[in-house]
Amino acid sequence: MLRLWPLRHVAKTPLSALAKYSSAPAASPEKVEVFIDGKPVYVEPGTTVLQACAEGGVEIPRFCYHDRLSIAGNCRMCLVEVEKSPKPIASCAMPVMKGMRVKTDSPVSRKAREGVMEFLLVNHPLDCPICDQGGECDLQDQSMVFGSDRSRFTDSAYTGKRAVEDKNIGPLVKTIMTRCIHCTRCIRFASEVAGVDDLGTTGRGNDMQVGTYVEKMLKSELSGNVIDLCPVGALTSKPYAFTARPWETKKIESIDVMDAVGSNIVVTMRTNEVMRIVPRLNEEVNEEWISDKTRFAYDGLKRQRLTSPFMKNKNGILEESDWENAFIAAAHKLNAVSGNEIAAIAGGLADAEALVSLKDFLNKLGSEGLCTEEMFPMDGAGTDLRSNYLLNTTIAGIEEADLVVLIGTNPRYEAPIFNARLRKSWVHNELDVALLGSPVDLSFEYEHLGETANDLDKLVSGNHPFSKRLASAKRPVIVVGSAILQRSDGGALHSAITRLAQDIRVQSGCGDDWKVLNVLHRVASQVAALDLGYKAGVDYIRANPPKVLYLLGADEAVLTREDLPKDTFIIYQGHHGDRGASMADVIFPGAAYTEKDVTYVNTEGRAQLTRQAVTPPGLARNDWKIIRALSEIMGNSLPYDKIQEVRRRLAEVAPNLVRVGDVEEANYFKQAQELAQLVKKTPSNEPLSPPMKTLKEFYMTDSISRASQTMAKCVQAATEAETSKY
Amino acid sequence: MSKTGILDKLNVFRQIIKDNGGLGKSIYVWYKTDDMKTGDLVGEDKFGNKYYQNNYYFFGRNRWAIYSPEKHLDYDASQIPPEWHRWLQYISDVPPVGDGAPPRAKWMADYYENRTATSKAYVPYSTVKPKIQSWSPNQS
Repeated sequence: MLRLWPLRHVAKTPLSALAKYSSAPAASPEKVEVFIDGKPVYVEPGTTVLQACAEGGVEIPRFCYHDRLSIAGNCRMCLVEVEKSPKPIASCAMPVMKGMRVKTDSPVSRKAREGVMEFLLVNHPLDCPICDQGGECDLQDQSMVFGSDRSRFTDSAYTGKRAVEDKNIGPLVKTIMTRCIHCTRCIRFASEVAGVDDLGTTGRGNDMQVGTYVEKMLKSELSGNVIDLCPVGALTSKPYAFTARPWETKKIESIDVMDAVGSNIVVTMRTNEVMRIVPRLNEEVNEEWISDKTRFAYDGLKRQRLTSPFMKNKNGILEESDWENAFIAAAHKLNAVSGNEIAAIAGGLADAEALVSLKDFLNKLGSEGLCTEEMFPMDGAGTDLRSNYLLNTTIAGIEEADLVVLIGTNPRYEAPIFNARLRKSWVHNELDVALLGSPVDLSFEYEHLGETANDLDKLVSGNHPFSKRLASAKRPVIVVGSAILQRSDGGALHSAITRLAQDIRVQSGCGDDWKVLNVLHRVASQVAALDLGYKAGVDYIRANPPKVLYLLGADEAVLTREDLPKDTFIIYQGHHGDRGASMADVIFPGAAYTEKDVTYVNTEGRAQLTRQAVTPPGLARNDWKIIRALSEIMGNSLPYDKIQEVRRRLAEVAPNLVRVGDVEEANYFKQAQELAQLVKKTPSNEPLSPPMKTLKEFYMTDSISRASQTMAKCVQAATEAETSKY
Repeated sequence: MSKTGILDKLNVFRQIIKDNGGLGKSIYVWYKTDDMKTGDLVGEDKFGNKYYQNNYYFFGRNRWAIYSPEKHLDYDASQIPPEWHRWLQYISDVPPVGDGAPPRAKWMADYYENRTATSKAYVPYSTVKPKIQSWSPNQS
């Protein structure tokens, strides 16, 4: 297929930048003047006619054109008349020329559109009433606006319409290929954004088919996005099939918590049930993509839920209980021990409000043992300096980098959206990527620098063959996976990497506001927890075995019953019956992320709000309210009754947590590096291996996705696909 | 045979008192049914309800039931079995006694009164799969 990369580059120019110039009375000399329906518009040379029309306030109908994909120009829907041109031109692929006069609503343009629409509809089935795209279908909408008002199609009884066999491309994307209008958006998405060249076309003309050539799974962690891209109902969501219509659902703008990226999502709700999750545009975080786990793990919110409090009875068996008894049992235990014998572990899905409530609650009881499940080295500056544990460059900032060194991470599965950014830069900005750690498939090429900390030492000392390239980088970036910092030598690794980052920052001369060191977290709660002063990792609890342990959604079983004294009383608060709940003595049912208005901070340090879409099931309640209620039962009430008061408290502890949508920057690399010098440990020589190396390990990582049947099907399909000869 | 005079009225009243079994019983019937009538006993059902007819009263009031004394004041229309309901509501003029009794098959369930507000009341239950599947601690 024809790919017009240079034009794609031009298309990247932000429209806002263009708008600024177009409204200026006198155009700067390099701008091209074009006339859209007689109205002069000034655009940069190389802009396409379609974009110039958008500047002029006219939206041209299109199917194949998408502003994040390369230009294909094959649907012909964007035909417009240009003066002195013998034929209508495809505006999405035609660059503007000086003095071009575009007529977007002339009889020629309209006739061209009607003709194209008629040809598209000749072979498009009339199954809108049973089509999942119905109501949000581009073809439906555009045929209403631009199509002819009557049909000339009379052949349905004789030869009928074109029929195409459906393809099976895995458990997520349902294909009804007869509906396909061959816009090739899915093909371009797969090969350009997702980096899997699985989709393609066979045949031509009327016999053209989009597919995978042989029957195989679309092995991508971003595959769900082709559903949104498809302008018709050819690619739809398998789990969502036939469940709801867009006009009968409520859309709630929220935040994803399946990874630390904090993708912006829209949760679609009907009758108090999450029907589906689709992406929401945020150029700084996820653009308009989301990962498959984000999109499809929502059925996990309906299974294995904790819908009532539980208490262990005399025989040590968990039984359903009510709030009052569960609170009294927990309060008894908490009152019976001294403050320093209480500890808490916060899991990966805990929100900032619950985290600060729990911290205040335990601090009031006299405990300092508040830990996160996820480890972070406390040697050197540890978590005291915020720049130590953030993705400082920011996700969008990666596009300015010219060299990225990934250390012990596989961003493709740890943060698929971040990986999509890397790939975007790699494709369009000539970004170089190097990887230190176990070799993985990132969906783009990279230089492999070795597997162990040995190679890291060589990089630090400048003896590595890659050191020269590193030194010549203008805007280098180092991204450390939080997985390798879980190891016992995490502190040594972190200090070595801090030193390396500081060295190359000085070498590159990129200035103080360019940040080199980045930590890529894997869980949504970690940055908020560290901002609030939680201890990273459970080493403190190992060293000081508690009598009462409070688990706030801690389901990764970093501490099991065997690690704790026999008489430890475990309180679990969370939304899923998972590893944490099964070892608890008392269970408080909490709310999942679609059921509460709370703050999450992503790996960049960007605070974002989720919005409540559905009510917590059964007796489950909002997490901070549970802690607040327990504190009242204990006779030691927390001083807040409303969410606003909790947020005020959040603002007291960490003001960045209430600045919703903003990245709170941190820049203490020099100090961090000085403190890192104090760490005298040396890293071990095990391979720096990220935990997720293959697609099947990506799908089930937390209590929600582990409860999801869709994700289980994906794991099964991905496992089968590994043995497939294709 | 017009009974329009005051003496006729008294005569009817006397007859009613007599048929109801004396002044005390009449007052009890009045207390129970807010009415005093006399008529021919047409039949009695298995619950002990007695059915009367007297065409002296106009259509709509000429057939009535005196509920079983067991029920005292707790009587309601659902205590009338369907075969008597048919006669009482003028669906048929043939009372279900003797040859008029409708045929009964073995499989027919016995009639019972409306059990609302008793321990045997019908309580509907949902057959829809719950939207949220709860965790149970014993399954894992």
